[in-house]
Amino acid sequence: MNLSIQNLSKTYPNGVHALKGIDLEIPVGMFGLLGPNGAGKSSLMRTIATLQEPDTGTITLGDINVLEQKDDVRKVLGYLPQEFGVYPKVSAEDLLDHVAVLKGIVNRKERKELVKALLYKTNLYQHRKKNLGGYSGGMKQRFGIAQALISDPKLIIVDEPTAGLDPAERNRFLNLLSEIGENTVVILSTHIVDDVRELCTNMAIINQGEVLLKGNPLETIKSIEGKIWRKTIEKDALEEYKTNFTVISERLIAGQPDIHVLSDAQPDNSFESIPADLEDVYFSKIHETLNTVQA
Amino acid sequence: MLEFIKFELNYRFQRPVTYIYFFLILAMSFIATATDVVQAGGSGGKVMENAPNILAALMLAIMIFGIFVASAVMGVPVLRDFEHKTDSMIFTTPTSKMSYLGGKYIGSFLTLLFICSGILLGSMLGQAIPWPWLDNADRLMEFSFMNYWNPFSLFVLPNLFVFSSIFFAGGALGKRMVVVYAQGIILFMGYLAASQFLSQMDNQEMAAWLDPFGFGALSVVTQYWTITEQNQNLIPFVDSILTNRLIWLVVGILSLVLTYFRFNYNQAGMASKKTKKNAKRAVQELVNNIAIPIAHPSYNLQAQLTQLRSLTWFYFKWIIKQGPFLFIAFAGICFLLILGLTGGAGGYDIEVYLTSARAVQLIGAFNLFFIIITVFYTGEIVWKERDMKMNLIYDALPFKNYISMASKFLGMVLMSVFLLTVLMFTGILLQVLKGYPVIEWGVYFTGLYTDTLALMTLYLILGLFIQAVVNQKFLGFGLMFIFYLSFLVLDELGIEHAMFYFGNAQLGTYSEMNQYGHYVAPFSWFNLYWFGLASVLYGIAILFSVRGLDSKFSIRLKLSKLRLNTQASLTIIAALLVFVLSGAFIYYNTNVINEFQNSEDQKDLQADYEKTLGKCESFNQPKIIGTKLDVELYPKSRDFTVKGYFLMKNKSDEVISEIHIQEPTDAQLKTTLSFEGGAEVQEVFENFNYTIYNLAQPLNPGDSVIMNLETDFKTNGFTEGQSNNDVVYNGTFFNNATYFPSISYNGSFELSDDNDRKDRALEEKERMMDRDDPSGISQSLFGDDADKITFEVTIGTDSSQIAIAPGYLQKKWNEGDRTYFHYKMDVPMVNFYSIVSAEYEVITDTWTPPSDTLPDVALEIYYHKGHEYNTDRMMQGMKEALSYYTLNFSPYQFRQLRIMEFPKYRGFAQSFANTVPFSEGIGFIQNIKTENIDLPFYVTAHEVAHQWWGHQVTEAGVKGNAMLSETLSQYSALMVMKKKFPQEIIKEFLKFELNSYLMGRTFEKKKEMPLELVEGQGYIHYNKGSVVMYALQDYVGEDSINVALSRFAADWGFKDAPYPTSADLIGYYRAVTPDSLQYIITDMFETITLFENKTTKAEYELIGDQYKVLLTIDAIKYRADSLGNERSIPLQDWIDVGVFAKGSNDKDSLIYLKKHKITGQETKFEILVDSEPVKAGIDPINKLIDRNPKDNVKEVELKEEEAV
Repeated sequence: MNLSIQNLSKTYPNGVHALKGIDLEIPVGMFGLLGPNGAGKSSLMRTIATLQEPDTGTITLGDINVLEQKDDVRKVLGYLPQEFGVYPKVSAEDLLDHVAVLKGIVNRKERKELVKALLYKTNLYQHRKKNLGGYSGGMKQRFGIAQALISDPKLIIVDEPTAGLDPAERNRFLNLLSEIGENTVVILSTHIVDDVRELCTNMAIINQGEVLLKGNPLETIKSIEGKIWRKTIEKDALEEYKTNFTVISERLIAGQPDIHVLSDAQPDNSFESIPADLEDVYFSKIHETLNTVQA
Repeated sequence: MLEFIKFELNYRFQRPVTYIYFFLILAMSFIATATDVVQAGGSGGKVMENAPNILAALMLAIMIFGIFVASAVMGVPVLRDFEHKTDSMIFTTPTSKMSYLGGKYIGSFLTLLFICSGILLGSMLGQAIPWPWLDNADRLMEFSFMNYWNPFSLFVLPNLFVFSSIFFAGGALGKRMVVVYAQGIILFMGYLAASQFLSQMDNQEMAAWLDPFGFGALSVVTQYWTITEQNQNLIPFVDSILTNRLIWLVVGILSLVLTYFRFNYNQAGMASKKTKKNAKRAVQELVNNIAIPIAHPSYNLQAQLTQLRSLTWFYFKWIIKQGPFLFIAFAGICFLLILGLTGGAGGYDIEVYLTSARAVQLIGAFNLFFIIITVFYTGEIVWKERDMKMNLIYDALPFKNYISMASKFLGMVLMSVFLLTVLMFTGILLQVLKGYPVIEWGVYFTGLYTDTLALMTLYLILGLFIQAVVNQKFLGFGLMFIFYLSFLVLDELGIEHAMFYFGNAQLGTYSEMNQYGHYVAPFSWFNLYWFGLASVLYGIAILFSVRGLDSKFSIRLKLSKLRLNTQASLTIIAALLVFVLSGAFIYYNTNVINEFQNSEDQKDLQADYEKTLGKCESFNQPKIIGTKLDVELYPKSRDFTVKGYFLMKNKSDEVISEIHIQEPTDAQLKTTLSFEGGAEVQEVFENFNYTIYNLAQPLNPGDSVIMNLETDFKTNGFTEGQSNNDVVYNGTFFNNATYFPSISYNGSFELSDDNDRKDRALEEKERMMDRDDPSGISQSLFGDDADKITFEVTIGTDSSQIAIAPGYLQKKWNEGDRTYFHYKMDVPMVNFYSIVSAEYEVITDTWTPPSDTLPDVALEIYYHKGHEYNTDRMMQGMKEALSYYTLNFSPYQFRQLRIMEFPKYRGFAQSFANTVPFSEGIGFIQNIKTENIDLPFYVTAHEVAHQWWGHQVTEAGVKGNAMLSETLSQYSALMVMKKKFPQEIIKEFLKFELNSYLMGRTFEKKKEMPLELVEGQGYIHYNKGSVVMYALQDYVGEDSINVALSRFAADWGFKDAPYPTSADLIGYYRAVTPDSLQYIITDMFETITLFENKTTKAEYELIGDQYKVLLTIDAIKYRADSLGNERSIPLQDWIDVGVFAKGSNDKDSLIYLKKHKITGQETKFEILVDSEPVKAGIDPINKLIDRNPKDNVKEVELKEEEAV
């Protein structure tokens, strides 16, 4: 069952052009949606999750017309929004049970088993009686994934799930995702490149409402293999380098700017070649759009 | 702090809502003053619309809306920082708590002041300029800024401070908006409770203190103000108003202090997260090997029902666990208990038995507050997921669209049922506590679960609809409020039909006799109609409710088309059909087979009647001298027919050929007339049911003619609004004036209100004819149709009922399932008779007169089964009254006297010849304790007295007439009571009478009359009458007054025209009054005279074994004109001076009481008494009309020795 998105556009009433003719084919498996904040990831995901209407375009999930057969989509959907709240005075167990009913699990016994398993799975079992108001950010996020996994969804949409998690929690979370991603369409939106590299078989990079790149992470890395050059420079020289070279990323290492430059050949011998990784792909693509806009 | 104030003000004044509130308040104040939409606080008549206390009432009414604005403005400033999560940012900056809170508070408060200045500006704007659409120049005084500023500064400003402080505290400490709403509702309930207490004389002070708005205090301070005082006086900052304002200012200040100390500035935002995460990481690693079991979702109808049930329960639990809800419910229970336990509710503070129906009625006092809770929680529940930011998860779940709305709806319904059930059990508890444990479940269920619940449910759906469609919480609340207000506008536009007033379905008064009776049918149909409409709205709400993030209307329209499947369309169409068809059925009932007329049309018709036919008033007409009727009553279908005749005689010196007949105007009635010897119709005025006949054989002086009469009264379906309460299933009661034709033009159909008359180009009308008007003296108070008549009637009714009319029962027989009663009066009686029929229990007794020459009198009481509580008192009342009156006035003229109960739709008793219909509500269900005024006894004695004053001596229908019938009946009943009950009861009774009189002056619309010229003003002829007559017999002597009355009865009894007037009666009084006291007749009857007597100093010293009481007394005597302008006049009066000592049973008893002649304002007395005095003063038992009766008596203190 593929998710197919065609020519999806959306302009908000305030004039923001959030989606500009998005075309994507998303097969079964983990799909990473990479992009900076404000790229349109959430708009896209909410549209797939039946929560928002596009101006134009179509989305189909297998035979289902997502934009019209909303009920059918919802039956197979697991959705974890980027930001969400919970009822502070309800316990995790009760709220999960409540959501399970709304997902159509009306058999009480079945539901009980399911809730219990999900609570174990998300490592919340020992906190199940506690009111959600007392949960930490990570626990709340795990609760979010637990509710998304109810009732064996065929389409899972998780929007920025790892934001705000500590490294250990992030790992556990990603493990959980990878387990279920085998025969399900899982769309993971993130601005953290490592999430995608570690989990996804397919990915797309979007920025400013447009798809910049789609494909397999490893293949995309191959496309820039040997073109990434690194150099540690003086702070004062940064601007000069930026004008002279395609500086796709910069970071501080021990207080000194460390830049990555995209170039077919070695710019000069003060640069050293490094193996490309997904982050370089990401930054090179973002850099492209930035330049287009500035031009 | 200044920074915070500036920031707050900047923020507020950039937001449009601030201006919206301002203009709303401005508009309301303007509309209230510059249009006729609202008639505030007792203005009308001679009290001007811009009088300070009228403006105060108006401003306070607007403050009730203001309280919502205040809660919205003052609740949010701190809350906003929590909601926008800027709290931790601000709280970590180096600002002090004082400047933060102070800045927020002052900034918001200034904003609120700006908004509420709209009250002042709007009302001034409304009245300073003569708006062209409003012809009210004569209802306004010259513009004076103080008239507005005085109530604004005394009530609005302090209220704003108090409310602001309370709401600010609620918002800052409660951290949720609902807490603030709850506070608003509690304050509002304080006002409701206060207005209940206000009607109980002994609780007025409490009401004045309790009312957060100050309305109670205003009422207490201004309750005796006359027309002139209302127009001229500013509201003084004294007494109850001062106390009330101070109490609430303290409450306001305390709220602020509390806020300052309890507000946790350091970690304000973290308040709810007390538990820190201390995760037990050791266990965490066990997890990952568990497989998630496969569950089987289903989406069929059964699954949907499960979801619905689960969600409904979820919402229900959520609401009832809410602090504010619990708080409101708890407060509701407390108020109900307070009202139930303290509330006498009946007249004279006498407790009405707490029947289930009355408990339901008490709960009904909270109807408006039910609507408010419903509306607020509707807003909360529709926005719950979004407020909690759970909407994205929730909206993507695979439940059907309708389930969300339906479960919210059902959750709220469950909440309503829960609340009503709790209140029902509170009501039952009250019944048990009050010692009346007759629990009528049917009454509770009908009253609460159909009437109240239906109203709540309708508003609930309306709330859901508005919230779903406008999709903005506060705008939704605002629209609901405007919707509620729009009823006033509809009314002003002359749209009065109940079909235009959302939710309007009247179940009517519950009478134990007739139960909900004929109200059930229209109530049910109207509910069907409203629920039809509500279902349509509900359908639209589901189609347009927001699911997901798009709130743009065009997108929602698109989505609604997707949602509109066959099932949904069919449901909406079905609901629409129910709405339209039931509406058509209602219209058919109220407007096609019955007549509907709105009040303006009705008034126009009255004006036309006067203009067209007024000239016929003085036409010479024959008089009825005999009446014989066959009445067939059909209680089950509420129909009756009458066949019979009036025998009419030409008592004048001229030939009469034209006969003018006014038929009753009731549309359900058909009357056919024919004249013996024939007559042709000369002219018909169909609009007025007025026909002029021309007799074939003109009537010579002294000749008689028979007018045959056939009347057919048919109840068809139901009518709009107040339906006919005369002819009912059980408890029919009507008199001849309502359903039988009368002769010639009927002046009582004319418009009486001067404003209404002016609007229709009619001159102001005197309420009654002048006392010396010859045509007035020639007719009795029962009208000019007849003097005395012979009377005979046969009534057939359902066999389960007994039918009663004046006269003696000649024969009773059965025909099939009907029973017939033939009554005949053997002496002429006045032309005033009643037809009564109901299922009755009967008690009989006999009264033997004190003289052998008089026959025994059969006494009978016909009452509803279960209402036997006070029948003994009534029986006793009849006996003692008959004895006193026979002994002191003249013999009783009949051989029988009957009392019969009728349903409490009307609350009076009325005296017909040997017959007294007596309302269920004013004597049968009162719980009379020994310390109470015995109301059933008293009312009985009053009505029996009318057999003399009205039936034996029938007075002329002119000004002052009621002094001869009503005032004399008050006097007679008071004397019977005086004989039977202790002095304290009489004093208590007179206290109520004096209060009612002084209050009555305040509500006078036209002019106060002296007693001898009273124009149907109950507060004068009943209440002032009691006080004055009691004083008269105290001054002149009971025996002397009775001698005067027996002479009066002997001279004027059983007489036709000319009839006596008050001038005649006063002659009899003067004849028995010594010269030295003649002035009191002038004071009491011929003028409006009041006193302001008080004791300013009271001391005593020991002289041997005696006590010398030293009193200083301040006395002023006033004369008032008809508008209440009072001027003091010289005192030359005999007034009681009295001294009290501790009596045997701890009560104070009078040890000295003597009249002293008082000739100046300040007088000193020295009185020697034998026992230790406790209290002393002037007019200690309030015989005189005293504007402030409470300060007459003072505690007596031991005089301190003066230092030498």
